Amino acid sequence: MDRKPGVYLCEGCGIAEAVSVDDLEQVASGELKVPACKRHAAFCSEEGVALIAKDIESGEVNQPIIVACSPRVMTDRFTFPDAQVIRANLREQVIWTQPPGEEDTQALAADNLRMAVAQAKNSDPPVPHGEGGASRKLLVVGGGVSGLTAAREAARMGVEVILVEKGSALGGWARKWSRTIPHRPPYRDPQPNGIGDLIAAVEADPAVTVMTGALVTRTAGGPGDFTVTLSQGGKETSERVGAIVVATGWRGYDIARHEYLGYGTSPDIVTDIEFEELLANGGIKRKSDGAVPSNLAFIIPGDSERMPYSSGVSDRVAIKQALQVIEAVPDAMVYVIYEDLRAHGTAEEFYRQGQEAGIIFQKGRVKSVAADLTVTLDDDLLGQEVPLSGLDMVVLSTGMVPNSTNVDLSPAEEGADQLADDIDPAAPVKVARGNGEDEAEAAETSGNGAAENGAAEEGGEPALPGGPILNLQYRQGPHLPILAHGFADSHFICFPYETRRSGIYTCGPVRRAMTIADSQQDAQGAVLKAIQAMRAADASTALHPRVGDLSFPEFGLDICTKCRRCTVECPFGAIDEQDDGYPVLNATRCRRCGTCMGACPVRTISFKNYSAQMVADMIKAVEVPDEFEEKPRILVFACENDAYPALDMAGINRHRISPYIRIVPVRCLGSVTMLWISTALECGYDGVMLMGCKTGDDYQCHFVKGSGIAQERMAKVGETLKSLALEEERVQVEEVSIADSGRVAELLNSFAGKIDEIGLNPFKGF
Amino acid sequence: MSEGRPRSQTIAVIGAGIAGVTAAVEVAETGYDVVLLEKGPSLGGRVTRLNRYFPKLCHPTCGLEINYRRIKENPRLKVITMAEVQGVSGSRGNYSLTVKTRPRYVNANCTACGACSEVAETEVTDPFNYGLSRVKAAYLPHEHAFPMRFVVAPEVIGTPEAEKIKAACKYGAVDLDEVEETFELSAGAVIWATGWRPYDAAKIEVYGYKDCPDIINNVELERLANHDGPTGGRILRPSDGEPAKKVAFIQCAGSRDINHLPYCSMICCLASLKHAAYLREQYADAEVDIYYIDIRAHDKMSAFYDRIRNDPQVNFIKSKPGHIVAGEDGRPLVCGERTIEREIYRNPYDLVVLATGMVPSLGANFTAPADLEKDEYGFVLPSVADDGGQFSAGVASGPIDVALSTQSATAAALKAIQAVRAG
Amino acid sequence: MSVALPAEAERTYDLNFARWVYRNVNGGDKLSLCMQCGVCSGSCPIGTQMDYGPRKLFMMIRAGMKEEVLSSNTMWNCTSCYRCVVRCPRGVPVTYILQDLASKAVEFGYAKKEDNTRFSKAFWWSAKTFGRTDERLVTAKYYFSFGLVEGIRKGLGNLKIALGMIKAGRMHLGASHGVKDRKGLQAILKKAAEIEAREATES
Repeated sequence: MDRKPGVYLCEGCGIAEAVSVDDLEQVASGELKVPACKRHAAFCSEEGVALIAKDIESGEVNQPIIVACSPRVMTDRFTFPDAQVIRANLREQVIWTQPPGEEDTQALAADNLRMAVAQAKNSDPPVPHGEGGASRKLLVVGGGVSGLTAAREAARMGVEVILVEKGSALGGWARKWSRTIPHRPPYRDPQPNGIGDLIAAVEADPAVTVMTGALVTRTAGGPGDFTVTLSQGGKETSERVGAIVVATGWRGYDIARHEYLGYGTSPDIVTDIEFEELLANGGIKRKSDGAVPSNLAFIIPGDSERMPYSSGVSDRVAIKQALQVIEAVPDAMVYVIYEDLRAHGTAEEFYRQGQEAGIIFQKGRVKSVAADLTVTLDDDLLGQEVPLSGLDMVVLSTGMVPNSTNVDLSPAEEGADQLADDIDPAAPVKVARGNGEDEAEAAETSGNGAAENGAAEEGGEPALPGGPILNLQYRQGPHLPILAHGFADSHFICFPYETRRSGIYTCGPVRRAMTIADSQQDAQGAVLKAIQAMRAADASTALHPRVGDLSFPEFGLDICTKCRRCTVECPFGAIDEQDDGYPVLNATRCRRCGTCMGACPVRTISFKNYSAQMVADMIKAVEVPDEFEEKPRILVFACENDAYPALDMAGINRHRISPYIRIVPVRCLGSVTMLWISTALECGYDGVMLMGCKTGDDYQCHFVKGSGIAQERMAKVGETLKSLALEEERVQVEEVSIADSGRVAELLNSFAGKIDEIGLNPFKGF
Repeated sequence: MSEGRPRSQTIAVIGAGIAGVTAAVEVAETGYDVVLLEKGPSLGGRVTRLNRYFPKLCHPTCGLEINYRRIKENPRLKVITMAEVQGVSGSRGNYSLTVKTRPRYVNANCTACGACSEVAETEVTDPFNYGLSRVKAAYLPHEHAFPMRFVVAPEVIGTPEAEKIKAACKYGAVDLDEVEETFELSAGAVIWATGWRPYDAAKIEVYGYKDCPDIINNVELERLANHDGPTGGRILRPSDGEPAKKVAFIQCAGSRDINHLPYCSMICCLASLKHAAYLREQYADAEVDIYYIDIRAHDKMSAFYDRIRNDPQVNFIKSKPGHIVAGEDGRPLVCGERTIEREIYRNPYDLVVLATGMVPSLGANFTAPADLEKDEYGFVLPSVADDGGQFSAGVASGPIDVALSTQSATAAALKAIQAVRAG
Repeated sequence: MSVALPAEAERTYDLNFARWVYRNVNGGDKLSLCMQCGVCSGSCPIGTQMDYGPRKLFMMIRAGMKEEVLSSNTMWNCTSCYRCVVRCPRGVPVTYILQDLASKAVEFGYAKKEDNTRFSKAFWWSAKTFGRTDERLVTAKYYFSFGLVEGIRKGLGNLKIALGMIKAGRMHLGASHGVKDRKGLQAILKKAAEIEAREATES
């Protein structure tokens, strides 16, 4: 398709008062020779939009270059079917940060126009990578409450489901439970366990194929077209599915690791899991002599090492079980020993019910549980050490360890390193240093206690036991990525289901410890995301965060050197290596961040509307003044998700920013190639700044690894600069958050100051 | 009444905080039409006024930005701001929502150029900052406002200033004749994402919220800590603008109290831990005391609790204070008993922050349709009836945090879609 | 008479004493709801005078510390200001429980051991004699219950406070005033004692 650019110069919002639109028109028509160039007092008005639409309809223009406000606003109005809209930001990032009428302001506006035209020249409308035909079948792994709920909910949406359970029966832990924690008013009494009905409903559902005693032994492909190998009774079958919900649940924490709790020293010291099975199977009896206990202590250890597995579920379970004891043995003396009683939300009502029923809650630190069942604790509230003697039974809360691996399997040979935690839970909290009130001097102090208790040993926790659940045929390894303590990875605050494995969604206690009611809700969410993934695969569009994006990376294999960097660096494992060493894209896994593009040393990976060439041309489009003008030019690559909005908001707040800055938005810092930096320096730019999201612990990158990879790459840029006899300080990488609207201005102005100190780029003019 | 209407496949989402925005986007991206109704002038609800989220200490606008982009690009999703739902009638497949819109006095022609604000002189209380600052009577709700459109404060309507504001707009966007309007909206299913408001700290009389400017609540602290808040992100004493370095946090200010909120609000412990982190990041010599009954580090948050607990400048005092008064020097004095040490204390602070709980916004006086089930606190329960068509998400459904809100919103989106599919 | 106290517990945290309190002490049925937040002790205007304060006393009840609880001075120092009752987040009627614990302490002979009852006795003497409490007489009666010398010493120690109270109109000079119908008062008290005795035998 021929590119037919048209420039639309908006005069509104004070643009015409701050810069000469005549001069801009001259740049568009004269210098850049764009055939169509129009002006309007406000292109976002009905009249303005109609003007653009008319040109598109007439076939005169298919690349409207709207030179007006930020691409973040008026998006709905400036969307035209069959046209590729390019936006040049003259409002937020020029006239709102620059003094009106100045020569430098005009130069900045003209450069933004030039960059937009260069962008248009390198941009084609994306075409879908696929032709539909995505599978609408869902694989659910795990037949406990979460998996059963997922299967049932998916079936209700008209989706065919294969439910794979490694055990011999459905129902998971819940099948062994008596009653459950209340989650509906009056929030006071243990509720009936509905697992039987749920199992029956799933088994009766014609849309669900249940496979018990089965494992997933291999998973290849991507959303819409996964090929999974299922093994059942020694027989392997292959299925094509569109998405996968992983609901592998949890297992009990090995409480015997804490010797002081005495587990194993007496048959009457049991875990809450064992106790629950007693409740479900006809009553509470001591294992030692079958007698009904009448003095019981429930211990919720506050041991911080174990707490992440507990998260308040254990506390509520203890209350529930204690209530059931009192119900069965009204005269029983029942104690719940805790450090912080975590009965969140409406569970406070449950706690009150427990108190009213006569459970004694004791805040204290358990020091030991003896074989004769004497519990010694520091009773915080009495302020003395108490031996709690005469008990018939001691019940220990265990906590829920996520099944992010299959512990029944031997560890996979490859990919063990994949199971290193991504987030260090003991990472230090940032604190101010010194007596000054200068926040700039913020430093990080170590969370000393955490390091001492071993949670933050070098290299994190030992690798998780067991083999992969899905055995993913991904370059990045067979496992699902995990966060601290083995919980399945996700942007767990804003986008709880987004993992690094497109089309694969985890739910239930594998994501974090949760109750049955919570798990059911979680399963519903995961099913919706899985359905969206199948729809997106069918439509060839991207998943979160670039939802709906049709573009995808293409590989120019003619010059590919098989360096494999793209396959290694892709955060989503979207690129495989073929036997001949060339990369091949699994398009439906791809999230379109462009990290592969940034990785490629020979610039042969490109999107139809985003490429190494495109940005290089945008860099070159800027008019760099010669050394005699003494006006530097600084190039900024800004992450479009966070840094770019922050720069817009700097404009909204009318912060002044150095006029020498030229900003190129990038999909992710991971897409920035070293070649852009060398291009910029060769073109005479005096400095380059990369603005991306926070990396490492508590990463904020929407593509998880993109900004981190960029930092790694740029760590080596200093050497390159030195070899060119350029100062290392000319290239800077900054972590910028979306809330940095004030800080970006300071950062850029101080960088401009630093460039001024260093002096102009000696290559200018060459 | 509802029988005659054709069945609607549209899903109405009431409230555009993080839960409502998430639910609406998830519905639209599954291929269903959705109308997102927001009472205020812009989206984002409570979270957009937070400085950061626990435990990652990341900024709420980061996730909202992505969600807003998804909204802008999705033609199936329609946003109506300044819109309050007055009542709902009907049943699954054909609900009718009575929606009242308040005037913004600024129409869709607004480009957010700011010319109106330049001529405005009157300053009104800034609702975005919980009244901690004032704003021109023609204003953008905040820097990240979506839709990015100005508001003219009702206070100046009918004055010559309003005419001046109108005249300043080149785009005919200021419409002083806007009036309240009521319309009916048809929907096949409804998601309640009406969120929460902080418990009125003044009701806990003994904590002196009304008596001393340096006794504030936790949402106000979020504004003080926020870069676009009234102090530019510096945590300063409201009384004299001095840095607040010795700060007390009072947990369960209202929550877990049968005289106020019988339930635990779940988020306040973690919020105070987060606030301690803000203070420690700002002031090297900050000293933080957290008065608590139980630290309820839910979810995976216990690691965050440990991180804060290991800081020697953050102290945890197990005590529900009896009362807080202004001392002779005007500084707040927290009085009570340290339960573990059995010591009576009177401790002075620069600033006292009441960790107030969450009250569901959906008032008890709201006439809900028969198939909407609420608990005694006003939380909307998830529908368990097979023919239910109304669902809840976020804090409208119970006292939960943001991670659980987005989870519940995604689940509610699925349930609502199932409801309109079933008709 | 109340139900007899449970026997001496053989172990800590024996619940028999706590259960006795739940069943036999006025307000005790709500005691199990105490979550040890400390707002009662922290709100108490004379909390520093108490050996344990209500919160800890309640924990001691749970711990089965019968002797220590009934011998405590906590309930005797309670002025019935009701701050704790108003503020308790769990609706525990702290004041009532303390009052009745005090009366149980007397009943079971624990109060004799301590000076705890002196003030209450002085207070009651004034109330039953005059139908009113006279600050001067109550104080004098209380102070002199320690003996003459000690009484004078205590009195002088509080002179400043007394003068302040007079100045503020909180303590009057001149003859002590009582209710007009002292005979009627005596009749009421007599009747009340009768009812109390009858109820005790009936239960």
